[in-house]
Amino acid sequence: MSTSKKISKKDIGKILSQWSQEFTVLVPSKEGNVSKMARWDGKDTRFMDSHRNTVHPVKANFFPPMEEMFSFQKNKEGYHIEPAPPDEHKLLIFAIRPCDANALAILDMAFKDGYEDPYYLSRRKDTVLIGLGCTNPYDSCFCTSMGGSPSDSTNVDIMLTDIGNEFLIEEISEAGKELVAKTEDLQEAKKADEAKAKKVKETSYDKVTRKIDTRDIDKKLLACFENKDYWEKVSAKCISCGICTFLCPTCYCFDINDDSFKKRGARFRSWDSCAFPVYTRMPMENPRGEKWRRVRQKVCHKFEFFPMNFGSIACVGCGRCIRLCPVNWDITQTIESVPEIT
Amino acid sequence: MKNSEIEQRLRQEAKALLEQGKVDCIIGYETGSLKFTTTPLITRNKDDVERLIVSPFIVNNLSVYLTEIKGKVGIIAKGCDSRSIVNLIQDNKIAREDVVIMGIPCPGLIDLNKIELSLGKDRDELDNVTRDNDRVVITIDGKEKDFPITEVLFDNCLECEFPTPREYDVLLGEPCAPVKSEVSKKTSIKELEAMPRGERWNYWKEEFSRCIRCYACRNVCPACFCQRCFVEESEPQWVSPTPKWQDNLMFQVTRNIHVAGRCTDCGECERACPMNIPLRSLTKKMYDIVDEQFHYKAGTDKNASPLLTAYEAAEVEDFIR
Repeated sequence: MSTSKKISKKDIGKILSQWSQEFTVLVPSKEGNVSKMARWDGKDTRFMDSHRNTVHPVKANFFPPMEEMFSFQKNKEGYHIEPAPPDEHKLLIFAIRPCDANALAILDMAFKDGYEDPYYLSRRKDTVLIGLGCTNPYDSCFCTSMGGSPSDSTNVDIMLTDIGNEFLIEEISEAGKELVAKTEDLQEAKKADEAKAKKVKETSYDKVTRKIDTRDIDKKLLACFENKDYWEKVSAKCISCGICTFLCPTCYCFDINDDSFKKRGARFRSWDSCAFPVYTRMPMENPRGEKWRRVRQKVCHKFEFFPMNFGSIACVGCGRCIRLCPVNWDITQTIESVPEIT
Repeated sequence: MKNSEIEQRLRQEAKALLEQGKVDCIIGYETGSLKFTTTPLITRNKDDVERLIVSPFIVNNLSVYLTEIKGKVGIIAKGCDSRSIVNLIQDNKIAREDVVIMGIPCPGLIDLNKIELSLGKDRDELDNVTRDNDRVVITIDGKEKDFPITEVLFDNCLECEFPTPREYDVLLGEPCAPVKSEVSKKTSIKELEAMPRGERWNYWKEEFSRCIRCYACRNVCPACFCQRCFVEESEPQWVSPTPKWQDNLMFQVTRNIHVAGRCTDCGECERACPMNIPLRSLTKKMYDIVDEQFHYKAGTDKNASPLLTAYEAAEVEDFIR
C-alpha cells in the first residue's frame, strides 16, 4: 500500500486551478448570503473558512429548482421541437459533505428507476465528488442515526479530513485514485497525520448528538397509516410550505409546465412538493386535501415507501428540514413518536 | 414583569380556559428542538399547558392557525399578532366570541440572523443570549458580548408601533413602549428609494432570482387566507409556476397588494424565507402607503370596515360604481 497524501490548505487555490483544466469545479459559495455549491471563480478560497454545510443541498446542482427541457415553435408544418442543449460540463464538487454525497446515491436510484432521467443523469455522469468530513456539525444534524457519519466516505471519490493546516486525503474510488495520481503539489502524509485524522473523525462523530431509532420504522409506519389522531397531532403546526422538501437533499418530486407566448415557448420542469394541496388536486377529488395526509405522505415516503422500493431510507440526517423550518417542525421528533406496534 | 412570571400567569389562564370549557384548544409557544428556538404548541390537553413559554424568541405569528382550527381557541398574541387576529375578525374569517386572546406586551424579539451575521457564528455555536432592557448579552466561548437592542432586534420590532396588544381578553404583563428606532439593515426602504430606477430593478432581479417558490412567505402569513391562491390558478394563469425571477417578482408584488390593509408588519414573511429575500422592504412600503394615503392601520379596530374590501354607496370614485 502506498502512503497516503495530504493537501496543504494554502495550496487549495493551486490545486483547484489544476482541476479546473479538466473539470468545472464547484465549491461552497454564497449568493445573497444563501450558501450553495457554485462554480469556483478561480481565485477566492474564502469558502475554506466555512466549516458548515450549505443551505442548498448538492441535489440542486444536478436537479436544479427549474430547468428547460425543450423549446417549441409552431409553424405551417406543425410544431418544431428543439431539445435543451445538454449540460456537458464535467463536474468536480469540492467539499461536499458526507450526507449530501449519500443523498446523491439515493437520488441516483430514483432517477434510474424504470425510466432513465436524461437531465439528471447527464449532469451526474463522470462527476467527481471530493468529500470533506464535518468537524462542526449543526445541532440539527443526525447523520449517525441514518447510517452515515461526519466522516462517511461511502459515496465520494476522494475524502478529505481537516487536520489543521492540511487535509488528509483518502482515495476512495478508482476515479479518485486517478485524480490523486495526476494532481501535482500534494504532500506525503506522515503517520502522525493519519493519527490526527482518526482523532478528528472520532471527535466529530461524538458531536452529532441528535439521535433517532429507525429500527422497524417501516413496519411501525405501515401499522399506524390509518392512525388519524397521531398524524393530526404531529402535523398540527406544519404550515404546508415547501421548504423541507425543496431543500431536502433526497426529495425529487417535480412539476412540468409550458411557458409560451403566441407561437413559441418552452417546457420547464421545476421542484414540486407533496406539502402543497395542489400537488394531488384532481377535478373531483383531492386525496391529500387535509394537512395530516400530506405530512404522513412525506414521512412515509422517506421511511416506508422508499425503503420498500429501493431498500434504503430516503433520509440522510442532514437536518436541513429542521434547521430551515419556520415553525421548527422536527422530523426526528415525529419518527421518535411513531406508535409502537401493538 | 419577568417572562417567568408571565409564563406562570399564562399557564394558569390557559389551564382554566380548558378546564372551564371556555375554549377547546390553546395555541401558544413551547421550547423548540434547536438552541434558542421556540415552536408553536397547539393542544387540547390541559396537561400540556405546563409547556407554554414566553421568551425573546417567540417569533411565530400564531394567528395563522386560527382559520384552520375548529372550535373555540385560546391564543397567545403579541402586539402584531393581535392585530392579525383583529383583521381576521374584520374579514369575517373568525368570530370574536370564538377566540380568547391572551395578550403579551412585546418589547421586541431577537433576530438570531443578525447575531449570526455580526459574529460570524451560527446560533448553535452561541452559549447564551439574554435580553436585559436595552441590551442583549451574548455569551460565546465563555465570554460575554454586549449589543444594543437596536442592533439585534428584528427590523419590524424596531419600527413597531403597537408592542402591546390593543385587542385582548386578558393582558399578561405591563404595557410596554415602542422601541422606535431606525432599522440598521442595508436594505432600508429609504436606501431603496434613493436608488436610480435601473439599479433598483436590478436589485430586485437579483433578489428574486433566488426565490425557489416554496411559498413559506405566503403560508406563514395570517393575511394570506385565500382558499385558492392566484398563483395556483391555471385558467387564466396569472403567474407561471416555474420559478423564473420575473414570475417570482410578480407573485410577491401581487401578494403584497392582496394583503395591503391587512399586513400588520409582523415580519413573518421575511423571517420564514429560506433564501434571505428582503420581503419586508416591500410589505413595509405598502404598510406605509396604506397609512399615508388612507390613514388606516391594519388590525387596530375590529369595528372598522376592511380597507380595500368594503364598499359604500356614496363612494366618490366613478370606476367603482
